Amino acid sequence: MDKQYKVVHCTINGKKVERIVDVRASLTDMLRNDFRLTSVKKGCEVGECGACTVIIDGEGFNSCIYLAVWAEGKEIWTLEGLIGPGGELSDIQQAFIDEGAIQCGFCTPGFIMTSWEIVNSGKEYTDDELRKALSGHLCRCTGYENIFRAVKKTMLRHLGKFEEAEKVNSQGITEYPEPMPFK
Amino acid sequence: MATQLLMAKSPAEAAGSKTASAAFIAGGTEVNRLGSEVPAQAETLISLKKCSGLGQIEKVEKGIKIGSMCTFQQIVESEIVPDYLKEAALFMASRTKRNMATIGGNIAALRSDSYLLPTLFAVCARVEVLTPDGKQDDICVNSYKEASEAGKDMLITAVIVPDNVKVVSKRYSNTAQSHAVLTMSAAALEKGFTLAGAIKNCGIYRFKGFEEMVRENPDISEEEAIAFFKGADSLKISEDMFGSEAYKRYLLGVTAYDFCRKLAGKEV
Ligand SMILES: Cc1cc2nc3c(=O)[nH]c(=O)nc-3n(C[C@H](O)[C@H](O)[C@H](O)COP(=O)(O)OP(=O)(O)OC[C@H]3O[C@@H](n4cnc5c(N)ncnc54)[C@H](O)[C@@H]3O)c2cc1C
Ligand code: FES
Ligand code: FES
Repeated sequence: MDKQYKVVHCTINGKKVERIVDVRASLTDMLRNDFRLTSVKKGCEVGECGACTVIIDGEGFNSCIYLAVWAEGKEIWTLEGLIGPGGELSDIQQAFIDEGAIQCGFCTPGFIMTSWEIVNSGKEYTDDELRKALSGHLCRCTGYENIFRAVKKTMLRHLGKFEEAEKVNSQGITEYPEPMPFK
Repeated sequence: MATQLLMAKSPAEAAGSKTASAAFIAGGTEVNRLGSEVPAQAETLISLKKCSGLGQIEKVEKGIKIGSMCTFQQIVESEIVPDYLKEAALFMASRTKRNMATIGGNIAALRSDSYLLPTLFAVCARVEVLTPDGKQDDICVNSYKEASEAGKDMLITAVIVPDNVKVVSKRYSNTAQSHAVLTMSAAALEKGFTLAGAIKNCGIYRFKGFEEMVRENPDISEEEAIAFFKGADSLKISEDMFGSEAYKRYLLGVTAYDFCRKLAGKEV
């Protein structure tokens, strides 16, 4: 049977685009091959590692198991879209650098996209919820703690809790002043 | 090898297009995995993404009706879905995958490490289906499994679960992301105690023999529960990388015992 192709119209990183795609192609393939958005990584291609995560209509998806044709009419964001017009990094990207949350960097774009969804949700996640929200991502290098801290600090800053953000210690725990000892 | 994709606009179109050489695709988390057998065996994939009327969650007379295209995340966030089903949906640890995977896809996948089927079996959930000739039916989830395994083509359109039932569940895996060796659920229904489990690489079962034993003697001991599963010859359990046969049978026994105590409000 002949291969089937379809035209897809969508918005990628704020730009309206259209492409003809093989109906079997994944969104990862379309973003990487047709648009050169190589921040979208191919880690496992089975939905396990989260390296291919992009935001579709405001929510994180594993683009490796999402058909490109399903992107019709959708608004998609990849890591490239977070960079400002003058090449400035977004605050969540900067936080990953500041907190040493990157080593080889392969998992980083995926982690940042999920983190971006989290910090822009306007919700204050508990430590437990935050860990769970990040649990669809695998990192072989960092040991997760630095990533957790980068996301937690940025989330708190987005909520205007600047002082609290500074109190997040190296284990990702918010440190409050010791209570006065009983006399 | 699937080369064609049909974007069905209605359940009737989707069900009517189902032939032996076609397969449904819902969230795609199983079908689109590299190495998945579904697109390897089908020529056409019938996408349910644009099908109208499969995405609602509503209260109905028999409980809560969940459209087959509802995602795990919608289930988790719903205000009317019972907590026991949310707990099972949260067994899928990855949020991004929860945004994609659907309840219909999970049932139809019939995986031996299924997230939802032990719970749906234990509460005797009903599955609404549509056949290729347009016949609508409302069958129990166990009958769906049997019909599907017998090769019957059916589109799942909705699932109905009871609310206000007490359910306990447990999933054994090395990490939240790993495959589970065992997922079990028990419920205290009006007709009595029910118990179901998904044993990796073995299958999904309602343990009716154990249920009868508990209905006759609600105060069974842990030793009796362990002995039951040790001697349950009808359960074909194999040894694999997830553990030995004896280990899996032991887990079944101790978990079943814990569930009996928990449902009876006793300490574990
Ligand atoms: C990394 C990874 C780990 C996983 N681990 C588990 C696990 O531990 N336990 C588990 O249960 N699943 C697991 N899965 C599989 C999958 O994510 C879930 O089973 C999911 O619920 C499938 O839903 P879906 O909508 O994505 O289904 P799809 O992938 O779209 O379809 C799955 C199957 O159901 C059929 N189907 C879909 N919708 C319908 C319908 N409405 N009516 C009839 N047939 C239909 C399809 O033809 C296909 O055979 C895993 C997947 C990944 C990527
Ligand atoms: S590449 Fe998509 S989840 Fe690993
Ligand atoms: S930084 Fe290397 S995998 Fe995460």
